[in-house]
Amino acid sequence: MPSFSMDNMVSILPEMIVLSLALAVLMFDLALPKDEKRYLAYFSVAGLAIAGYQTMNLAGLQLDTFYGMFVLDGYAIFFKVLFYIAAAIAILISIGYVKGQEMDKGEYYALILFATAGMMVMASGADLISIYLGLELMALSVYILAGFMRGSMKSNEAALKYFLLGAFSSGILLYGIAIIYGVTGTTNLAGIAAFIQSGQYSGPALTLAMILLVAGFGFKVAAVPFHMWVPDVYEGAPTSVTAFMSVGPKAAGFAAFLRVFTTALPGIQPDWTVIIASLAIMSMLIGNVVAISQTNIKRMLAYSSIAHAGYAMVGFVSGGMQGVSSVMMYLFIYMFMNLGAFGMVVMLRKDGVAGEELKDFAGLAKKNRTAALLMMVFMFSLAGIPPTAGFMGKFYVFMAAIDAGFTWLAIIGVMMSAVSAYFYLRVIMYMYMKEPEGEFELAAPLSLKLAMAVAVLGVLYIGMAPAGLIDFARISIAGMM
Amino acid sequence: MVPISHILILAGMIFALGVVCVFAHRNILMILIGVEIMLNAAGLAFVAGSMRWGMPEGQIFVLFLMAMAASEVSVGLALVVYLHKRKRSVNIDDFNEMKD
Amino acid sequence: MGIRQGILLALVFVPVLAAIPVLLVPSGRAARLIALIITAFELALSLVPFAVFMQPRPDGWLVRLDLSWIPAFGINFSLGLDGISLLMAALTAFLFMLSVLVSWDAIRDKSPMFHFMLLVMETCVMGVFLSTDLFLFYLFWEVMLVPMFFLIGVWGHGRKVYSAVKFFVYTFTGSLFMLLAIIGLYVIHGSQAGEYTFALEALKSTHVEPATGLWLFAAFFIGFAVKVPVFPIHSWLPDAHTDAPTAGSVILAGLLLKTGAYGLIRFGFPLFPEASAAYIPVILAVGIIGVYYAAWIAYAQEDMKRLVAYSSISHLGFVVLGIAAWNEVSLAGSVLQMVNHGITTGALFIMVGMLDERMHTRDISAFGGLWSKAPGLSAFFLLFIVSSLGLPGLNNFAGELLILVGLFKEYPYLAAAAFAGVVFTLIYLLRLAQKVLFGPPATDAEFHDLSPREAAILVPLAILVVVIGLYPRILIGPIEGPIKALVSPVAAVKTAGATPQAATAPAQTAAADRGGTP
Repeated sequence: MPSFSMDNMVSILPEMIVLSLALAVLMFDLALPKDEKRYLAYFSVAGLAIAGYQTMNLAGLQLDTFYGMFVLDGYAIFFKVLFYIAAAIAILISIGYVKGQEMDKGEYYALILFATAGMMVMASGADLISIYLGLELMALSVYILAGFMRGSMKSNEAALKYFLLGAFSSGILLYGIAIIYGVTGTTNLAGIAAFIQSGQYSGPALTLAMILLVAGFGFKVAAVPFHMWVPDVYEGAPTSVTAFMSVGPKAAGFAAFLRVFTTALPGIQPDWTVIIASLAIMSMLIGNVVAISQTNIKRMLAYSSIAHAGYAMVGFVSGGMQGVSSVMMYLFIYMFMNLGAFGMVVMLRKDGVAGEELKDFAGLAKKNRTAALLMMVFMFSLAGIPPTAGFMGKFYVFMAAIDAGFTWLAIIGVMMSAVSAYFYLRVIMYMYMKEPEGEFELAAPLSLKLAMAVAVLGVLYIGMAPAGLIDFARISIAGMM
Repeated sequence: MVPISHILILAGMIFALGVVCVFAHRNILMILIGVEIMLNAAGLAFVAGSMRWGMPEGQIFVLFLMAMAASEVSVGLALVVYLHKRKRSVNIDDFNEMKD
Repeated sequence: MGIRQGILLALVFVPVLAAIPVLLVPSGRAARLIALIITAFELALSLVPFAVFMQPRPDGWLVRLDLSWIPAFGINFSLGLDGISLLMAALTAFLFMLSVLVSWDAIRDKSPMFHFMLLVMETCVMGVFLSTDLFLFYLFWEVMLVPMFFLIGVWGHGRKVYSAVKFFVYTFTGSLFMLLAIIGLYVIHGSQAGEYTFALEALKSTHVEPATGLWLFAAFFIGFAVKVPVFPIHSWLPDAHTDAPTAGSVILAGLLLKTGAYGLIRFGFPLFPEASAAYIPVILAVGIIGVYYAAWIAYAQEDMKRLVAYSSISHLGFVVLGIAAWNEVSLAGSVLQMVNHGITTGALFIMVGMLDERMHTRDISAFGGLWSKAPGLSAFFLLFIVSSLGLPGLNNFAGELLILVGLFKEYPYLAAAAFAGVVFTLIYLLRLAQKVLFGPPATDAEFHDLSPREAAILVPLAILVVVIGLYPRILIGPIEGPIKALVSPVAAVKTAGATPQAATAPAQTAAADRGGTP
């Protein structure tokens, strides 16, 4: 048994920073007067930047610590960087919004940071138990965030639905873990892989456990048929929380999903390939087709988020170096464009209330050219039209699929992209080709503008010069594959 | 000595009961209890696995699990109590602000 | 990177770089002025190669530019200029400058954004005609839809939003299939050669299984055919044309349709010599159906813009026939006809726009006896109409003749049928001329003749119509070499049939081509 070494402390340094940051936010919250909570947000963003710097300093390390429960490798670092950016943009989006919605409390930022820490543990977990713990830390924080707008019945209801279905799904996940433990005698990912490899057991229990894991993770990444919570929760939760929820937990879910299936279960790859491929197809189909009929923009983006989980799963199914790195790149890109789209929804207020209906965007181009232009870029990116990052992401995913011989998956994905163009274009149509009704007030404090600038630069830069991100993703998984 | 398969079958039955409880009841508290039953079934399966392999890990995981379940319930109950205060109802069908 | 490469780069990127200040200037006048200067600069730039360097390099290109872009995927920023793309680039620059001029008074609403879209569009169209990397080509091809979508949807008239969305969804869907085929070819080539690349020259040497090749070519063909547009998938075009602003129609007819035909010539046939040979009967069939069907529908149109739009489909049917025949004569005819159609149809759309500005209607029955009221305008109108119907001595005649001669060599009966199609064209265009220009005046409303700006737009077009008609060699000269190089590999497959040797022939030729590269 290896002795406890300094490596352990090094490997959890990023998590320690983020957790201390969260605790510090809780403490400072006590000292700050009621309407000065925005300093906590700036403090959190600064802290995340420090965490990001420290994490990048650890790049290149390959630490296997805590008796195999926790690893720090390129894969984990890639996702941690993604989480920092997502959390920072989400916090910047929130500052003005939480004030307007009477939910300007210090705990808000602390909860985002706790959720981030949970996601980081998920990305680093090399043992089903540590992954489960990370997942719960993330999920519990996000349940509370979803219901943070206490006065709004919709928000309360979103929290309730998210909580009930989330708890249910983690029960399923846990039972799957228990079966795997019963069959293999370990919850360590490498240990499970070695056990399956040795051929000691090849019965139905393992397949059953795999299906339960797919269901558990499927809930977190919002894949059909585990998507029923998504539209209601996305619509009901405060928009700034929806923005965070649609990228962070989804990416974290994929991080754990990918690591578990590619490192622990490669022995039964043919089995899970079929299941995940069908999930991918259903997600792309239902997500895109149902999105067409939505009139609430948050609900439309919820279905679009389901569809995007489907595209990411196309890369997942393709597997191998190409497949895994394509999913990573896709999630990174999705983070920028989706946060951008939700940020614009946060920004838009009409006649004194939050503009969440599609028709609230009518004629935006006349009133505010910049806002309309930004929303247009995000919509084109979500639709996968060059030169935005969304195109590069889809291109890589479909390329990986064709390379691995899943041409039919790529064909379905492409056809569904054509369908999706319709509802993303509709937003643009409303903004540019309709007359405005009612009064626009754009709630755009500097922080939100900054967040949108980061998002749009991310979308355009990755769209035109993706080489850096591709290499980052590929180098990150070099140690894992 | 009880054979391991018996324990696993029992765990499976408890898990199934939990799932049925979640889907059959409209009362939020009952749904929460169903979820807890599912978690406990998983705990039982862990203990069985621990016995089979002669390793203490499974038992330790159950401790983890109990702590997790407790924190989950605290969040859940807080939500339910608040919602009951606002709507005077714990029936899941009463919460239907959002519809397609 | 020498000055020649610099010209290539400038041709593609100057418009989009200039587009940003255009978007930021507050006044429409400044935006118009910048756009005019930039498009004029582009036109001058595109004419430089004609004068300075017409000596091809050993590999057939006049200029090449290769920069590494996304090495992880084997994507290069590769531009290449040969005679064909030079003609298309010059046409592009010319028509964009005209588009700015025709919109001078017509577009008053959100003028900066209009010119922003125009300039972005110019970059994309240039990019499509100059790319020699399939990924880069696809990128420009796809981005091209966005400014067009806005041009129709924001500054159009009638059911503009419907038409814009229809245009976008049709062409987007078609090109997505092409994207799949590009990736498929890339993967096949990569697994064969061990080197993953999107470079056109390298991909030409890929050995594709016949069955796979049929699928891949079909996907490419759909992508291009939607743009051309070929008969059963043309229904977006009349709507888009009718509802687009004049500048939009000019670009749509003059350039966007050409990108489809150009794609077939540059990519579709050379990449899949065998599969394309197998599809020739289908392509010939849709081509000839297009000629007749569109002429038939055009005859029944009351809206002049719609009539010209259908005449475009009919004319492009000839181009498709010329491409499908794939010999040196027919291909030269097709390329020539692409330029001619751009000039003539562009001119017709501009004239319809001028009539619309005066009378606020495009209904044929609302006009009549124009000759006596506005002789200048009418003379130009008549010139472009007779050019469009292929009067000997004018530009379209040369192109159509070459296509028919080339077609006759391969398929004499089809050539005869296509010739009869010309007669069809004659009928509906003469009807248009007769009703609008002659006959009794429909109203006694005041009718202005050409303004100096309008005359300045039409005179160069008229000069081109006559000059190309009398001396087509100025256009055929530059394209002879490249066409010869394009024809031989595919023709080898066609004549050899599906024999095993045929499979290796294009690979060897392409390899020999590359061997010549210094």
